[in-house]
Amino acid sequence: MAVYKRTYKAYRGPLTPAWSRFMVLSRYGFSTLFESRPFTAYVVLCMLPFLVGLVFIYVVHSTAIQSLLNVRFGRTPLINNFWFLAFLSFEAWMGFLLTAWAAPGMISKDFANQSVQLYLSRPLSRAEYLLGKVSVMAGLLSCTTWIPALILFFVQAQLEGHGWGWDNLWLAGSIFIGAMMWIALISLLAMALAVWVRWRIAATALMMAIFFVLPGFGVVVNAILRTRWGSLLNLSYLITNVWWHLFRIPVADGPTDRLTRLGQVPLWAAWGTLLAVCALCVWVLNRKLKAREVVRG
Amino acid sequence: MAKVIELDNLLVRLGGRVILDRLAASLSGKCIGLLGPNGSGKSTLINTMLGFYPPEGGTLRIFGKDVQRNLRELRAQIGYMPESDAFIADMTGVRFVRYMAEISGLPSREAMERAHEAFFYVGLGEARYRKVGTYSLGMKQLAKLAQAIVHGPRLLLLDEPTNGLDPEARQRMLHLVREIRDTGEVNLLISSHLLRDIEECCDEVIILKEGRIAAVCNLEEERKANLKFLELEVTQGNGFLESVRALGCECASFGAGTLKVVLPDNIEVRQLYRLAAEHSVQIRRMNYRRDSLEDIFLKAMSGGATTTAAPPPPPPRSVHGSL
Repeated sequence: MAVYKRTYKAYRGPLTPAWSRFMVLSRYGFSTLFESRPFTAYVVLCMLPFLVGLVFIYVVHSTAIQSLLNVRFGRTPLINNFWFLAFLSFEAWMGFLLTAWAAPGMISKDFANQSVQLYLSRPLSRAEYLLGKVSVMAGLLSCTTWIPALILFFVQAQLEGHGWGWDNLWLAGSIFIGAMMWIALISLLAMALAVWVRWRIAATALMMAIFFVLPGFGVVVNAILRTRWGSLLNLSYLITNVWWHLFRIPVADGPTDRLTRLGQVPLWAAWGTLLAVCALCVWVLNRKLKAREVVRG
Repeated sequence: MAKVIELDNLLVRLGGRVILDRLAASLSGKCIGLLGPNGSGKSTLINTMLGFYPPEGGTLRIFGKDVQRNLRELRAQIGYMPESDAFIADMTGVRFVRYMAEISGLPSREAMERAHEAFFYVGLGEARYRKVGTYSLGMKQLAKLAQAIVHGPRLLLLDEPTNGLDPEARQRMLHLVREIRDTGEVNLLISSHLLRDIEECCDEVIILKEGRIAAVCNLEEERKANLKFLELEVTQGNGFLESVRALGCECASFGAGTLKVVLPDNIEVRQLYRLAAEHSVQIRRMNYRRDSLEDIFLKAMSGGATTTAAPPPPPPRSVHGSL
């Protein structure tokens, strides 16, 4: 089909491997997101804590810089599991805003334009379509959570020496597992809400409501029924419980007020609820993500 | 001729209702028309071909391969132009088509090249850097065609391709469809309720009515056979119809004095005049004409041709057989 001839001609050239097609969606997804300048600026902002952390670790290990700045950190181990938890928590919430901003639009736009049928009429399964979309968020969130955290971990291990890295290797695993749990939770939740309501603004609002309004209901349930299970409605509380456990920090060191005191629900219940939410999102995606909607009746 | 689409007792049920009811046909036309009134199951059949709806019973084969078992492979060989608006509004036209080509498996460089070529081919070359959301309805239809052909499919499914187009744009679309058909590299299935569109492009037609096949007609065979018949308008006369049949003519009455008569080679028109005189019947009008697709369609809709549906391979003049 040459331009100058302008006649139809079949394509007989090479094809990309079938397994790699979902990456086309990822590539275009990234490209579309970064066309927005505010979004790009926010992603850069998300990288700032990493730079600050990097500088902080360097300063802690450099007596020359400390004397130059006229500060002295003494012998207290400043860079420990609590420090990494604080870093990950901060980055995780930055990532939450990133997801609430970007993820719903990635799918709801396809529904608004009825383009899902165009994707699925090609050699691309629903799972690959989802994988392509989720991988954009997973990639972005990885770049703002566990990847910088692990880089900081290895920089700290290198500068600290004396087997610090080997002794605290479990911390690297905790960073990875804790971040992946968070990434899976918010990515799937954002996608499922977008597929369910098919309207970007509504999906973002629902996401905010789940994290900031639903916990209020949990408190009411706890107060009225004199129970602690209402805390299961508070996803951020549950993930914090899981993180504290993964980072081996005693819950007694956490908040002491009745509402946010950690350990009110057993750890298995926290893990179970978070995994159930992920499973529910997958179920919603499987039910609702279709090229054609069947009207019953 | 190789079979393109084979329906074997295909049963599709959606939302508790039977939408396609045991369809059985074998289609091998270069350009197949899918006709039927609204709600007859045309789009459902296309969606089933794409694997969007799983059949509850029977099988559907494309190029001899079962759709359910070879879905991915078949989708790679199919280009689909949906009826409704379907695009990515905030992408430029050429980027949108390139994106679709890459999902179909074309490497990035080839996809870009083909996207440009497809846009020039459908006549949107000058508008390829505009966002699809800003296109007019006719341009959107052409962009949908471009994304359907960009990966060089073997089967092109066009669902109402001329929907909402002005006469000039419609002619342009039909011209493109005929041109694609004439390359011989791709089979087409066009769903439409516009008989003229189908008649202008297709060589085989399948007519659906209430989820069942009302008729299958090989238009190409019809044209080749060049079967002519007489359409008569007569005053009512007792026994005239029977006498014409007794001559050896196939004859059908359509009420209000309208008769259609197929003359065998050994019968001449003057014999009809003689019979009319014998029965005191006035012949008020006499035309030689071929069955148009409209006649075939109307007959199928009135239920007259349901028995001719689709025993594979479709017999030539299957619809006339009921005259």
